[in-house]
Amino acid sequence: MRPFLLAGIAAALTVSAMTAVHAKDYEGVELKMLAIGDTSVTRLAPIVGEFEELTGAKVQIDMFPYPGLIDKIVIEASANRPSYQLMWVDSPWVGVLGESGALEDLTDWVKRDAEEIHLDDIIPIQLQENTWQGRLLAFPASGMIWHQNYRKDLYEHPDEQAAFQEKYGYELAPAQTWDQYIDIAEFFTRAAGETLAGETLDKDFYGNAQAYSRVAGAITHDFFPIMRSFGGQYWDPETGLCAMDGQAALAAADVMKRLVAFNPPDYLGLMWDIRTGYMERGEVAQSSYWSVRTVRLTNPDEAVLPTIGEAGYAPSPTGDGEPQPTMTGALSFGINSKASDREKEAAWEFIKWGTSRDMMRRFAEEGSGVSQFHKSILADPALQEDYPYYQVLLETQENAQRRIFHPFYADVEEVFGVELNKFMAGETETAEEALTNGCTKINTRLKVFPEELRLRWINDAPAAIFQ
Amino acid sequence: MIFLLPAMLVLFLTTIYPMLYAGYLSFRSYDLAKPFVPRVFVGWSNYQQVLTSGDFLNALSITFQLMVITLSIQLVVGVGLALLVTQRLPGMGIARTLLLIPMMISPVIVGLVWLFLYFPELGYLNYFLSFVGLDPIPWITSPNWALWAIAIADIWQWTPFIMMGTAAALTSLSPEPYEAARIDGNTRWQVFRHVTLPQLKPVLVSLVFLRAIDAFKIYDIIFVLTKGGPGDSTEVLSLYIYRQSFTFWQMGVGAAASFVSLIIIVVLITLFFKSLNRDQTA
Amino acid sequence: MSAITLRSVVKRYGSVEVVHGIDLDVEEGEFVVLLGPSGCGKTTTLRMVAGLEDVSDGELSIAGRRVNEVAPKDRGVAMVFQNYALYPHMSVRQNMEFALRPLGLDAAEVDRRIQEAAGILGLGELLARKPAQLSGGQRQRVAMGRAMVRTPDVFLFDEPLSNLDAKLRTQVRLEIGKLHNRLGTTVLYVTHDQVEAMTLADKIVVMQNGHIEQVGTPEQVYAHPNNMFVASFIGSPSMNMIPARHEGGRLRAEGLDLAVPSRFEGKLPEGQDVVIGIRPTGLQRAEPGAADAVVARVEVTEFLGNEALLDIRVGDHELIAEIPAAGRPAPGDEVSLTFDPSVIHLFDPQTGATLSR
Repeated sequence: MRPFLLAGIAAALTVSAMTAVHAKDYEGVELKMLAIGDTSVTRLAPIVGEFEELTGAKVQIDMFPYPGLIDKIVIEASANRPSYQLMWVDSPWVGVLGESGALEDLTDWVKRDAEEIHLDDIIPIQLQENTWQGRLLAFPASGMIWHQNYRKDLYEHPDEQAAFQEKYGYELAPAQTWDQYIDIAEFFTRAAGETLAGETLDKDFYGNAQAYSRVAGAITHDFFPIMRSFGGQYWDPETGLCAMDGQAALAAADVMKRLVAFNPPDYLGLMWDIRTGYMERGEVAQSSYWSVRTVRLTNPDEAVLPTIGEAGYAPSPTGDGEPQPTMTGALSFGINSKASDREKEAAWEFIKWGTSRDMMRRFAEEGSGVSQFHKSILADPALQEDYPYYQVLLETQENAQRRIFHPFYADVEEVFGVELNKFMAGETETAEEALTNGCTKINTRLKVFPEELRLRWINDAPAAIFQ
Repeated sequence: MIFLLPAMLVLFLTTIYPMLYAGYLSFRSYDLAKPFVPRVFVGWSNYQQVLTSGDFLNALSITFQLMVITLSIQLVVGVGLALLVTQRLPGMGIARTLLLIPMMISPVIVGLVWLFLYFPELGYLNYFLSFVGLDPIPWITSPNWALWAIAIADIWQWTPFIMMGTAAALTSLSPEPYEAARIDGNTRWQVFRHVTLPQLKPVLVSLVFLRAIDAFKIYDIIFVLTKGGPGDSTEVLSLYIYRQSFTFWQMGVGAAASFVSLIIIVVLITLFFKSLNRDQTA
Repeated sequence: MSAITLRSVVKRYGSVEVVHGIDLDVEEGEFVVLLGPSGCGKTTTLRMVAGLEDVSDGELSIAGRRVNEVAPKDRGVAMVFQNYALYPHMSVRQNMEFALRPLGLDAAEVDRRIQEAAGILGLGELLARKPAQLSGGQRQRVAMGRAMVRTPDVFLFDEPLSNLDAKLRTQVRLEIGKLHNRLGTTVLYVTHDQVEAMTLADKIVVMQNGHIEQVGTPEQVYAHPNNMFVASFIGSPSMNMIPARHEGGRLRAEGLDLAVPSRFEGKLPEGQDVVIGIRPTGLQRAEPGAADAVVARVEVTEFLGNEALLDIRVGDHELIAEIPAAGRPAPGDEVSLTFDPSVIHLFDPQTGATLSR
């Protein structure tokens, strides 16, 4: 009786949902989205016509590069009359946008439509990533972790294995500690003319590629996950002030500095995409980065590596080889709080459509696109076959920590971007000096605010959608 | 009088009002991105923050380094090209036109053009260097090279400006003193040094002056090529101001930095002209 | 040995020939004036001598040495330009110093030469001034001083007086004359002004269309012009020219019937067409009953002081007569004039050449 009733309700809900979708309720509504020109959007942008067919709402997506995008969003948020109803949000921006009241609170809608959006199937931390003071302000469209990619074919090559064993006294395998990671980077750094996996190199081969550019704080996007892997935190929980000059941060800066020698010579200019390009072309032995682009390593249309070798995937190394909660990130869609009610409703429909499990599965099957965040997709054996890194994503997020979400994130990104870049370039003598400079600059801005407020800004209240 | 009104209105709206507003902002705490940060009068503290900031002083120093490098090379090469294109040689008309092209291009596009040339690993410049057996140069990714890479792009774009002004001045010079000098037997260099150059001086001073003001404000090329990096090796004043205003969103600090820069350049220009006038009267 | 020699010197610009194989000898210490209307090739010839223009053909020698291929500075010449060609940013002294610079003299010698030139030209007060602070005449003196200090073998002047007003022109002309007398240096001087030529030259070279029409002393070119061009170019007002015909020992033209002057007797075939040339001073009021008197009608009179110019009409011909101003006729009067047979020139109307020889 009861199951029957439930099934009936479910059927009724489905029908009503379908009616809602087919009724073209939003005829005449025009939505504009301020977005990034990266995979979390580029897959969706060409098919927004399908959404219009379903709902009648027209959606136009304007895409911009990541550097400078937050500037446009901030200016958009400070305007009285919005020109964009939908905004692409990197989860660290939730603090500044949330504290400014720029984003619509999605909590009630998510609760209402929990079933429709398969809320239970979404990895919880990806939702937590988008909360500010417990309220959900954006919905994940791509869910990331920071992990290592490596040349599986080289690691498994018998000559290389033997030589590595010979030189370092232990077995060549994906690094569990940063010392191992550096060993491997050193081991595989070869000049043109030397041999790699039995073949003579016609150009230089590098042990590693990390982002060291200061542009848009690119270097910090690698630095903070490494700091995390040493157990580091951004903020002092007692004072709400900068803690990014602690032991873990120093260790992370040291790791990056030691890796310089094994990076391509233009390391100081390596942005995320240039850095991943080295891995995708199979020109480096390992490279650790955010999982948004990992899928490319499996797709011969988007990368050279699958045609000349094979990529392997592993969690980030840690300081002592013991597991540390990894760092996550979410690339999400939010709604401008200044949009009209009708626009907001239409925008929520769009978010549900564009981030739905069906859509995500569609992207997964197309072999390109987003970093997945539904457990059922990541755990799907057929998909895991095609995308071995899904297992890494699934496992590491069991116990993970959200990224920075402080309202002064832009300052952190810029200040540490420049300070770390100067240290890597040799303009600053020591990591300590660089990080102390960074923290001093951040604290100068934060100290004018009462401690109570500072502590509120670092407070990660559990998402209300789960209550 | 009535006819002046529209012009004055436009001037007020586009120049005077923004200046006044920037002046007002420079005494306030104003975070555009964070409405929750109090927007209050803070006295001279924005100015104090700018003047005591190592970043600002570094930016000032970088700006002047870049100015000295680009201006001196633009001057020498520009005058040299002007001497060349004003010769009655075949092809000089076309050469003159072609050489003007860089100047007509928007600096952002110039930046992009050079980005393609300098681009790490994929840039054409290193590709060409490899043909002559040279190692790749980390143009925009090394603090030792980046300022030069920017200087080269700026020199490429603005040397034609010096060339054009100088060529115009050269063609207006009377030819007879040169014939007199030829008969007297002074060498080409002596004639250039003692006859041409002194006569060009007023024009060159104006050209350098205009370029110096532009160089002080250089922004677009750097924004495209390095955004101030690597480290802070190409962080010029405009970028510093931009970062204060639009990365840290401290509009007040940005406004204060703008005014400090304005005062510096006004003082320098005044000193420059004072010293020139001393030269003239001496 | 001549100071300057031109042998069949030709100047071409591309396919256009502007100087057609001229021959000229300038003697040591001589003041030679190249005279002619603009475009006659005189300046081009001077510039070839200076080395500012290449010689297209023929041979140019200075002091007995072929200099076609020699750089201007090695020809031992100094030039004074029409526009002075002073270095505008340099003082008078610096202008001279710069001219001396290539000679590599010691400072004392430089100073001595400048003082000397300044003394001769009266530039002593002006040495510290810049060209903009000088009058036109002063500038031209500086230009001469700058040429002088180099103690050249040859001075070249390119229309040096044409930018000066009439009064200064006379004054500077005299100074140039005095300077030449004092220094005795060879001078090649270009002008279109026959007064300058007549007053300054030892030898005048009259040029037209890239040819030399006549070379001679001022007296020779004035009194014995080789052809109608020289005859009409030299002298002011110009020589009167009247087409006529030789018939039975008489020269006949409309309203005119003159006896052939005795020096032409037997030289003219009967019926030959000629052009009679006579300077305005050769026409004088006829004594009553004078032979061959011509009746003319006065159209305009111009009073010059001692003399008066009469614009008169004889038959179809408009002539000018220069007579004593006292008792001059009024416009509209008819006067009786005689042609002084001793100054009558006869030219071949076809070639323009004189029939006097």
